[in-house]
Amino acid sequence: MNDSALLRLENIGKDFGPVTVLNGIDLEIASNEFLTILGPSGSGKTTILRMIGGFDQPTRGRITLNGKDLHGLPINRRPFNTVFQDYALFPHYSVRRNVAYGLVVRGLPRAVIDKRVEDTLKIVGLESYATRLPHELSGGQRQRVALARAIICEPRVILLDEPLAALDVTLRAQMCRFLKDMQRRLDVAFVFITHDQQEAIAMSDRIVVMRDGCIEQIGTPETIYASPNSRFVAGFFGENNLIDGTVVSIDVDHCLVDTAIGRLNCRFSALGLAAGRPVHVALRPEIIGISPDEGHSFTIKDVQFSGPSIMVEAADAATGAVPLRFRIQGGKTAQLPKAGDLVNLTWSVEDAFALPAGSAHG
Amino acid sequence: MPYPPGQLMANRTISPQRWLVNFFCLGVPTLFVLAPIGSFILYSFWQNQNGELVRELTLENYQAFFSDNVFLGVFVQTIALCLGATLVNVVTGYAIALFAARRSPKLRFAMILLFMLPLFTSYIIKIYAVRGILGHRGVLNELLLAAGLIDQPVTAFIFSQTAIFIALVVLYLPFAILPIYLAIERIPENLGVASADLGGGAFDELWRIVLPLSMPGVVIAAVFTFVMTLGDFVAPQMVGGTGGFTFGRIVFTQFGVALNWPLGAALAVVLLFTALAAVGLAGLSSRWSTAR
Repeated sequence: MNDSALLRLENIGKDFGPVTVLNGIDLEIASNEFLTILGPSGSGKTTILRMIGGFDQPTRGRITLNGKDLHGLPINRRPFNTVFQDYALFPHYSVRRNVAYGLVVRGLPRAVIDKRVEDTLKIVGLESYATRLPHELSGGQRQRVALARAIICEPRVILLDEPLAALDVTLRAQMCRFLKDMQRRLDVAFVFITHDQQEAIAMSDRIVVMRDGCIEQIGTPETIYASPNSRFVAGFFGENNLIDGTVVSIDVDHCLVDTAIGRLNCRFSALGLAAGRPVHVALRPEIIGISPDEGHSFTIKDVQFSGPSIMVEAADAATGAVPLRFRIQGGKTAQLPKAGDLVNLTWSVEDAFALPAGSAHG
Repeated sequence: MPYPPGQLMANRTISPQRWLVNFFCLGVPTLFVLAPIGSFILYSFWQNQNGELVRELTLENYQAFFSDNVFLGVFVQTIALCLGATLVNVVTGYAIALFAARRSPKLRFAMILLFMLPLFTSYIIKIYAVRGILGHRGVLNELLLAAGLIDQPVTAFIFSQTAIFIALVVLYLPFAILPIYLAIERIPENLGVASADLGGGAFDELWRIVLPLSMPGVVIAAVFTFVMTLGDFVAPQMVGGTGGFTFGRIVFTQFGVALNWPLGAALAVVLLFTALAAVGLAGLSSRWSTAR
């Protein structure tokens, strides 16, 4: 499919005893992309990382690097380095020694090691912390040491196993930018594991959404956000209104769906969508607006002030069913609806997206 | 804590529970540990004249130790013996502990239990077992005879300095294994994984990660074996016979045979301070295990 793929996972499966934790994983990783594997805990995302790193062996399928099978290659001979979830820094070594480790075990001359350690510490902004021990550092600094220790080995791929999970919210946002910036500067592939969709959207070139040991969807953050191919993905990425319906007719990339609030025209991208199929119409809260004259008639149920915007809950005026949540801009001049108001809700056809009911792989 | 200091003090002095806790945590140890030590330190400054105890402070007992080449000679020899036993025990103990720590959890537990089993056995029985192995017609000699490696039983195994050395190693090995094992087991598994991930081999992991991080256990093992072998006089008595003599035996002789308690006490004080020096040295070693 992609000739520039550096790392290729072909039909990978993994069983632990009678339990299959991964099945049919096909994945290609380009030499300089930031790929995020996103999924809830237990979805098998960490197992993928562990198999790339060589910590676990796949039960089925193969992993190739530039076309060469990695089977049987021990951990220490794989050109990948890992940033562990708890960093796994060597507690008895200073920052300098931790970072130098990969070069020391390769037997490089002292002068070369010192130079490269110094350079690497500069890259991650820790040059003034060289003699500190890990327990004398903050969480964010430890994170940087773990990254420095990995990048100094000049790996082809850096594997990051939920490295931001242990950090607080502000620091996490900061580290997100830092990691993305690092990846661009180093021009190396990052495979990033997370269960946090915000991290995934903020950093990734591509996102792999995992569910129950299978890949649910692969795509750019924009694609996955705007065109989820299953209810699971649609619900995993932020808030989404899902309206049940049935496909009436189908065009090249648009379809008509019968729902409780009438016939809706939507985009779709899933293969195998045909007339008669049950679907969900996904409407993001931010794409719904109130119109003075046209649209679907809804009754306002609740209005919640939430800082920068206002969250409104509404239901179909006629039946009281089909609850929708949407967001409108606040501000002093805004005409805010009140509970009980009758309003017309509209959205662009391009923003309504039909996805097959049930999961992508049935 | 946001207590005014006065109130905190008041709490301490008033509360009867705290008084009880203090008594058991500080009072009882003082009574049963420090008081006997204090009394024999006092003894060591008294004197035995013709079988009579003279309660006058004197340094004569210490002068006797430092001016007598027999005392000094045996003292140095004993320290060398105990250092040797410590070295052998720590190295052997490390190998066993490392081997056990790398097994599956079930096997690991079984192995450690097996190696700790001697600790549940009476000390005297263990010594007789050692004698049974090392003796003139002991297991070791019989085996070597049967294998044709020797034509006469080797006498050096028993009633010699070598016999004491072997006995001390055998008797105190569990005390070396346990702290080392606990230290190795405490090292997070993912540090080894990280070492491999960064390109390190098995030797790198052992030498750069496991060994330095288990150093506290090694130090405790060394202190345990050294201090305990230093003070042991029963094993040297039982397997040393006339051919093997240790400082512990000399101390015992002063109390039990010569009935010169002040001299015995002085020699015991020398032993005590040697042991304390070993512990102090071990305390300093915590600085070695980190590298900046």
